[in-house]
Amino acid sequence: MWTSWHDIWGSGRGPAARLAPQSRILAGTIVFAACLTAPALSAPGVALIAATTAAWVAACGLPVRTARSFALLGLAMFLPYFLLLPLLVKGPSVTSPGTGWAGALAAPWDILLHGMAGVLVAGATISTLTGSDLRSGLLALPVPRVFTAILVQIIHQTSALLAETKRVAAAIAVRGASGSGRAALRALTSLPRVWLPRIVDRADRLAAAMEFRGYAEADLRVFGQRAVGAADAGVIALAVAVMALAAALRWRWL
Amino acid sequence: MNVAPALTFDRVTVRYERGTAPVLEDVTFSLAAGERAALVGLNGSGKTTLLMAAVGLVGHEGEIRVCGTPVGRRTAAEVREKVGFLFNVPEDQLLFPRVIEDAAFGVLRRGVERKEAYSRAAAALDGLGVGKLAEWPLHHLSHGQKQRVALAGALVTAPPLLLLDEPSASLDPPGKQALARLLGGLSTAMLIATHDLEFAARIGRRFIALDGGRVIYDGEDPGAIKRTWAMD
Repeated sequence: MWTSWHDIWGSGRGPAARLAPQSRILAGTIVFAACLTAPALSAPGVALIAATTAAWVAACGLPVRTARSFALLGLAMFLPYFLLLPLLVKGPSVTSPGTGWAGALAAPWDILLHGMAGVLVAGATISTLTGSDLRSGLLALPVPRVFTAILVQIIHQTSALLAETKRVAAAIAVRGASGSGRAALRALTSLPRVWLPRIVDRADRLAAAMEFRGYAEADLRVFGQRAVGAADAGVIALAVAVMALAAALRWRWL
Repeated sequence: MNVAPALTFDRVTVRYERGTAPVLEDVTFSLAAGERAALVGLNGSGKTTLLMAAVGLVGHEGEIRVCGTPVGRRTAAEVREKVGFLFNVPEDQLLFPRVIEDAAFGVLRRGVERKEAYSRAAAALDGLGVGKLAEWPLHHLSHGQKQRVALAGALVTAPPLLLLDEPSASLDPPGKQALARLLGGLSTAMLIATHDLEFAARIGRRFIALDGGRVIYDGEDPGAIKRTWAMD
């Protein structure tokens, strides 16, 4: 059901995926900020968040299967906040003027709506970028070079780390720590102890290879960059307009 | 004209920590330009450490020279320009998302223009039979394919010395055979760390055997090494 981490990158086939990489990153970041800024407790705010998220997901061409996976991830992350309702309904509401159940619902709803929008917008933006796009896009933006080099490498190495984690978990299970209850808990708690030395060892070897190949000193711009066109400027202007509208709704300028 | 040896080790000792037992002890040998030798030894004998020391990735006592340049902190970059290195686990040295980018990196960072660098990388990948994978993302490759891509990245700069750490590990028999044929066809000097004597014998005639960090044999008889491993 869950799509592999690496296959999400560059899987988007929408018009936004054809912009220059730096424009995709910038527009995605602004849309993300707009969704978090718009108020979730007013009808215009909810409409703006929903419409912006849907429009960005469609523009990025996020595959339906991946979108569903991100939505499930968001629900798993943010629905548990509704479990706090019995506590919130008894105490004074700090997030909204309402009282009783309406007031108690405000906080989890706020978190759910902003969280779901954030996850979907981030996922859609990621889907427009391959690893190479991310590198060239970040290099074209005013981001510290060292940050770009490290971030790109972290993302590049994630699949190897995930594979390593799966192997460690399988080895623990095979050696008798599978099952349920106490055995499963023991397996879970022993995972970091087994996992960490392996990851440190791998990081050591990776550092040696990076040093030998001169990765840290290299100017990664040697791989080339794409120029920004009129379409890029248009999309960024639209994203800025949405951000301005979100800010106006949040601080009641309208 | 007198050509400097591709690699010389003169009484080299390596310790990972001061005061601890050496991992390599008093190692001396020389590899002529264009010469191929296998560095053989059981697990933990010091093969990988020796290769790492040769490019300045671990500190050493004694003298190591690569194509006449002494290996030290200040000369590390110059030395590494002359060496193609294949790490034991190919995933460790593949640093870029696409095959062609990784293979081209070595030449790009030497200032070669992008089009030319990509064309050289494509030729290196072609030569290793993985040219059609040039645009693939690296995480879609098999272990053997990753190893070839890593080797292409090492060969693309046409270095005078190749250091290969267990290149045949995890390869199936046809893969080993193909790799041996390929390495055997190169004219560059190479030192191949392996414990696979049959694979080593397909590539070169010289065997340098390590045991407990010391050179215990340097010659052309694999039988002598088998005897020390008590295989005969």
